[in-house]
Amino acid sequence: MLTEIRNVKVIGMAAAVSPAWDSIEEMSDEDEATVKRFIKKTGVSGRYSASPRQTTSDFCCAAAEELLAKKNIDKSRIGILIFVTQTSDYRLPATACVLQQRLGLSKDCICFDVNLGCSGFVYGLNVIASMLANTGTQYGLLLAGDTSAREFSTRRKQKEGHSGTWLFGDSGSATLLEKEEGNELKFLSNTDGSGYKAIISPYGAWRNPDSPDGRTHYVVMDDIAVFNFATDEAPRQLNEYMQLTNTTSLDYDCLVLHQANLMIMKRVAKNTAFPEEKMLVSMDRFGNTSSASIPVSLVDRYGEANEGTIKTLCCGFGVGLSWSTVAFNIAASDILPLVHTDGYFSDGYNLDDQV
Amino acid sequence: MTDQEKIAKLEEIWELDEGTLAADTVLADVDEYDSMAKLSLIVLMDDDFGVKLTGDVIKGFETVSDILKLMA
Repeated sequence: MLTEIRNVKVIGMAAAVSPAWDSIEEMSDEDEATVKRFIKKTGVSGRYSASPRQTTSDFCCAAAEELLAKKNIDKSRIGILIFVTQTSDYRLPATACVLQQRLGLSKDCICFDVNLGCSGFVYGLNVIASMLANTGTQYGLLLAGDTSAREFSTRRKQKEGHSGTWLFGDSGSATLLEKEEGNELKFLSNTDGSGYKAIISPYGAWRNPDSPDGRTHYVVMDDIAVFNFATDEAPRQLNEYMQLTNTTSLDYDCLVLHQANLMIMKRVAKNTAFPEEKMLVSMDRFGNTSSASIPVSLVDRYGEANEGTIKTLCCGFGVGLSWSTVAFNIAASDILPLVHTDGYFSDGYNLDDQV
Repeated sequence: MTDQEKIAKLEEIWELDEGTLAADTVLADVDEYDSMAKLSLIVLMDDDFGVKLTGDVIKGFETVSDILKLMA
């Protein structure tokens, strides 16, 4: 489905991770050859992992604070906050509400969570841009991230299971949008719910509260189904997008794909006629960062750059199954350097805080 | 392409020493035949043989010869 939104612009972006970077070699209890092969095929050599008490919202909050300070934004003019994640702080309330008060935003603000993963940044951008275009507020703040490394920490062997065990990293991002006359954002979005089992956390919610082995918080992934989906649908949608917008790879500075797996990404670039040099790769050091993967990749590449405008073409694809494409321009100086934080929010409920 | 050439291709994508595989090699006995190896196989079959492998087809592979049959 095509969405066209006028008079809204992306004016800032930041991403945060913990200070703790772990190499796959250090984390793994597999044999050396398996580890080497994994690194070569997936491209992931290590990742940032959240400390035990850090959640996605802590990373998003740190990224947002840096971004709002750098852009010198009057917080009372932010009228929408959307938090995209599959690793929220609570079942309820929506973490977006908690983030509103942590960030000191006004009560005149729409806040809610969106439950999407790998496609979530682009979907979230679509939702917030649509709402911003139709409300009286000046700014919208999109927070997207996940702590999937924790979700996938099942310690299953590669041979027995999926590649998810070491593939994922933890992070959070903040993207600021502003109303601006003349700018236009176009989105193409798709869903195929028949593939809902391809990536699923089946236990611990209301459908199946209990699991056979007593563990509730883990994700199972059908690698082959995901691979076939991503390598078919992402290029198809990107090519359709370029056809609709009468553009080619030459019109963009970079192709920013969800950082799923290097094999998938290379095939998507090849099948959309993008030279690999234009395809941003952050997953080698950050892992698959789920809904933050697109902002993390832009921050990784352009966070230290200060000149020029970056013309991006972004495509997120994954859990749902869900996929979405958007192109937007952003000044390099509006992409902040990577933020590191070991901070976390104390709500008083953690057992360690109750003496 | 001879079976030997096809086997060589499998050994190449799975980074195995030459001569490791034979047509009757049972895939479950190959340590390297894991999740990533299956994805490499999908890429090889699509690029070199125009065959789209699904999860069900891959699950049905028992020996190397089951794969060779599709490398037409």
